[in-house]
Amino acid sequence: MEQGGDQGDLIELPAVEVPAAQIALDQLDLVYAFIFARVGNRADAEDLTQQVAMKAIPRLRAEAAAASIRAYLFATARSVLAGFWARKFGLPEEELHEDLALPAAPSPARSEPNAASERVTRLLAALPANYRRVLELRFLRGYSLKEVAAETGNTVGAIKVMQLRALRAAARLESDA
Amino acid sequence: MPEDDEVKRSRRLEEVVRDLLAGKRLRIGTADAHDRDAIMAAAALAGQRDPYPRMSPVFRRRLAARLEPAREPGLLSRRSALVAGLAAAAGALAGTGVGRLLQPAPQVVRYGSATVFPAVRWYDAGPLSAFKEGVPVRFQAGSVGTYLVREGQNVNGLSSVCTHLPCELNWTPSAHQLTCPCHNVAFDTEGFQITSPESYPLPPLPRVQVRITPAGRVEVGAT
Repeated sequence: MEQGGDQGDLIELPAVEVPAAQIALDQLDLVYAFIFARVGNRADAEDLTQQVAMKAIPRLRAEAAAASIRAYLFATARSVLAGFWARKFGLPEEELHEDLALPAAPSPARSEPNAASERVTRLLAALPANYRRVLELRFLRGYSLKEVAAETGNTVGAIKVMQLRALRAAARLESDA
Repeated sequence: MPEDDEVKRSRRLEEVVRDLLAGKRLRIGTADAHDRDAIMAAAALAGQRDPYPRMSPVFRRRLAARLEPAREPGLLSRRSALVAGLAAAAGALAGTGVGRLLQPAPQVVRYGSATVFPAVRWYDAGPLSAFKEGVPVRFQAGSVGTYLVREGQNVNGLSSVCTHLPCELNWTPSAHQLTCPCHNVAFDTEGFQITSPESYPLPPLPRVQVRITPAGRVEVGAT
């Protein structure tokens, strides 16, 4: 039964204290999710999250607010990610490679997994249908090249090339976004 | 781009993709670096296979161990509190200075804040006398699934959805806990997580506002 809001006595719920430890722990989980969504594998994501923690935590001020901790952890994460990609691609690490760390960290109001997922969904939706199909089957449904070829009526070689073109197209859309 | 060059590039890229989809580390050769944007796009797509990635318990423990020496003795600064949080999450509290500072109750994690659902409308859940002391009752208040737990003349309301994945919790009378059917996680009747050494630390269950009317009826606030 639905009723109006002015009947009875409201039972006050006890306030629950928020220890800083839990706040910071939540932040590192989000940092890990942010990195994982960009490097796509657990081992690299763990290494990079550890780098972020080791770099950022000793520099935190004791009285820093949760929002500041989050901002600093994510700024460090972006710089660590840029260094990671620079090393992978054989670029000088001392140079700034802003493009390698993009996109920027999510706003505090949004959870990282949702933000990354929405970004990929948007990218896929903007691709031509044949490219989107190949990437969805391969990455989101875990099909092998052979299975994608059978599903789409193409040769394995053609799918391999289409995968390259589709990923390039996705990257172009990402950089234009 | 000549066709054979594109074929070569597509073959090299496929090796990177295959590794990523097998969960392996990124291994990128010098030649592959020309296709860096495509590789980064592949990594981002591979990351979507796990839309809710969380640090593994083993990694948490390792990270906590690496960070522990940085703690300033005698101070529970934000930095040491963070280390403490990691150590707590890793189940590594026993015997550590960090553990002594926090001293959580055994088995049940009591840190983290419970969010409180707004009460836009009030839903009648029946007379208070119908509720047994300490035994959660599942109640749907509009769009909000709840467990209502009587404590004396009060009733506490908890969200019925796990704070990890959006799965409906089940009441397990034998263990006196709310159990998530999706993974190995349970909560006590106050909404706090009951941990095992391998479990992820999770926020407590969101609170749902409850009131008792002068007529002794239990009402639940929800949207």
